[in-house]
Amino acid sequence: MFRVFVEPYQSGFMLRALVEVVLLGVLGAAVGVHVLLRKLTFLTDALQHTVFPGIAIAFALQASVLLGALVAAAITVVMLVVLTRDERVHADAALAVMTVGFFALGVAVVSHRSGYASDLNQLLFGRILGVDAREVVETAVIAAGVITALVVLHKELVLMAFDRVHATALGYSLSAFDLLLDAAVALTVVAAVRAVGSVLVVAFVITPVATARLVTGSVAGAAIVGAAIAAVVGWIALSVSYEAAVNHDVRLAPGATVVVAFVAVFAVVAGAVAWRERQRSVAA
Amino acid sequence: MLDDASASFGATTALAGITGTVPRGGSVALIGPNGAGKTTLIRAIIGAVPLARGRIDVLGTTPKRARGRVAYVPQADTLDAQFPIDALGVVLMGRYRRIGCLRRPGTGDRAAARDALDRVGLADRAGVRFGGLSGGQRQRVLLARAIAQEAELLLLDEPFNGVDSRTTDLVVDVLAQLRATGVAVVMSTHDLAVAHLTCDDACLLNTHQVAFGPIRDTLTPARLQSAYGHGAVVLADGATFVSTR
Repeated sequence: MFRVFVEPYQSGFMLRALVEVVLLGVLGAAVGVHVLLRKLTFLTDALQHTVFPGIAIAFALQASVLLGALVAAAITVVMLVVLTRDERVHADAALAVMTVGFFALGVAVVSHRSGYASDLNQLLFGRILGVDAREVVETAVIAAGVITALVVLHKELVLMAFDRVHATALGYSLSAFDLLLDAAVALTVVAAVRAVGSVLVVAFVITPVATARLVTGSVAGAAIVGAAIAAVVGWIALSVSYEAAVNHDVRLAPGATVVVAFVAVFAVVAGAVAWRERQRSVAA
Repeated sequence: MLDDASASFGATTALAGITGTVPRGGSVALIGPNGAGKTTLIRAIIGAVPLARGRIDVLGTTPKRARGRVAYVPQADTLDAQFPIDALGVVLMGRYRRIGCLRRPGTGDRAAARDALDRVGLADRAGVRFGGLSGGQRQRVLLARAIAQEAELLLLDEPFNGVDSRTTDLVVDVLAQLRATGVAVVMSTHDLAVAHLTCDDACLLNTHQVAFGPIRDTLTPARLQSAYGHGAVVLADGATFVSTR
């Protein structure tokens, strides 16, 4: 046990990977609980694709990948607001057009360079084992800022998700809170996309919280349990991926292994809950 | 309070020429078929729907400035029944403006919320998940939220749709008590009997105002037929029923 779950983290790159996964898991759960309540999964899904060209361009220019992703995320949110203002364009159509358009732009930018396949691979699936100390600090700063905002405005954000007309009657500005939540989602995607790649980000935001919601009765409870699930499952999956590669010569991509573990835990918990409910209805 | 208030979405007029006044402690029933603009009118009173023409004064000021002093009670089944929140949590939402941003509900707020739940007969259901309550109980929780808000004007959107008779009686009683303390009530409903029990005045509408005045003069068989068309049935003795569809 010690060898599998503790020993790998004596090397710097594995420790940084673990800290990054735990930070992203906790941040993803804090944001994810609101994403689920507000049914904003589509926004998260779109952002993880639309930040791709920002990263690709920054990568090609040797500029800050974080900055590139932030600019692309900001453009996405603004374009979405502008496009959906025209009633003839539905939000899902606008998102589909932007998602594929941005993504193709990113691929085109990357394909311009030599070593295209390996660059693309890194951008799509992340390089969690290559995260440096500066990136971990950046993720920690984003996580601290976003989580603080979500905790401080917790009751208002829950109100916005539950009953928007009541929130209006009380005098709250819906658009201000919507923008805040969009920004929180965008920052989370930006923070996560470098480590886990632009294909797997949505799993960090949605899966642990979706699992937690099966077993908790409050919004705060779902966020806390979701964060705990993400941290523990992330740690176990990272250890397993390391153990498989080093001692059994089986290559398991660490980012993908973490996501597969999240989904497996969700499936097991969902199955257990369904089974228990069936037992109850049989007993009753 | 309402002066030729009109609202439209794009080229479609949702509501036109609503004119009338609700005094403090007064009450008006908004009566009309589906799509008549009852919900639009209620949303215009909280300033959530811009007016195309005319003016609405709420508690002596504009709808936006009156926010916080106006409570909104939606139809219970328009809210997400899967939402992870208990009954007390929903009632506490009525206090959020008093509590303010960045702060958590204090003991005073919790006491007010429990008191409001008690008034709607749900003191023992405080910890039950909102979606786990019956339709009628959920409607009473939303009324308790409005009580906890201590608003001066209550807006209710179809509060009697799909609820049990105990809930109907309780809501009628609570509204009468609130009115006695000076709270004004505006309520949309299809239930003409409950409208007579609860309200002094009625506004009969079908995208435009058909009539506004004392309920017995307003809800006449002829006027109901004019608003509802074939949706209104007048029996030989003058009793009138309207379709809820």
